[in-house]
Amino acid sequence: MKFRDGIEEKNVIVKCGADIFLPFAIVFGLYVILFGTVSPGGGFQGGVIVGSAVLLLYLGYGLKVLAKIINTEALRINEALGATVYVVLGLLGIIFGCNFCRNVFYSNGAVGDLVSAGTITFMSWAVGYKVLTGVSFLLILMLGLLRDDEEEEQKEGKTE
Amino acid sequence: MKKTLTWMALFVILVCGIDAGRYAFEHDPDMYSGFNQDVVSLYNNPDVYDLEHVEGVEDVIIAENLQKTMAANNVAAVVFDFRGFDTMGESFILLTAIAGCFTILGKASLFGTIPDKKKKEEAKA
Repeated sequence: MKFRDGIEEKNVIVKCGADIFLPFAIVFGLYVILFGTVSPGGGFQGGVIVGSAVLLLYLGYGLKVLAKIINTEALRINEALGATVYVVLGLLGIIFGCNFCRNVFYSNGAVGDLVSAGTITFMSWAVGYKVLTGVSFLLILMLGLLRDDEEEEQKEGKTE
Repeated sequence: MKKTLTWMALFVILVCGIDAGRYAFEHDPDMYSGFNQDVVSLYNNPDVYDLEHVEGVEDVIIAENLQKTMAANNVAAVVFDFRGFDTMGESFILLTAIAGCFTILGKASLFGTIPDKKKKEEAKA
């Protein structure tokens, strides 16, 4: 393995593969989240697809670049934010005098539109955002364990 | 502040639960019993099955979905409207799993903690 500027260089083929598939993973996952209410799919599935982009970044560039690009604290906070938004949208039903998760303003758009069917669309987006950030955070947490102390010792030996 | 908020939230949930229990106790639900249904003839000739006057969950979801939710996708209507509690529990399972992983693995795996450890060890040495 080569080291340049303290960053470990990965295999060129893996790096190019990650470069090619990263935009597809992100755009396709966001499409699945956005059109969850009118097409097969939904928040959970799209969030997991976007979370796999983190894995592609790790395969192509390694942990140091991942740590530079992604703010893990923000991921952790935004996951709780998505869960809170879902609960608040569910409580709207109680506020308007019905039961929990009741569709209170269901007539905002024609059938089959992107923003239609009342709270269902926004709930799907909230769940998608929550799963996106949560799965990314979980993957980073697991990948952080792969860092060996031996590699660091190697690096220190090379820089000295 | 945190304690009072927690107790207030628990109190609100308790009041909602008691009210829901009282409502369910007062009103008898209309359930599909399957009484007087000839199952053998239905198995031999499925066309006999009356889709328009079904009493049960299908009646709500298939016949009244468009009036109640205006959703083009029946599955999305079930997951986020008719069974919203289920989806909430699913997503909270993920939340608790990540919280547990963070408490167990957080110090060992998150970036920036190991250099601090080394500094501490050096200071001790």
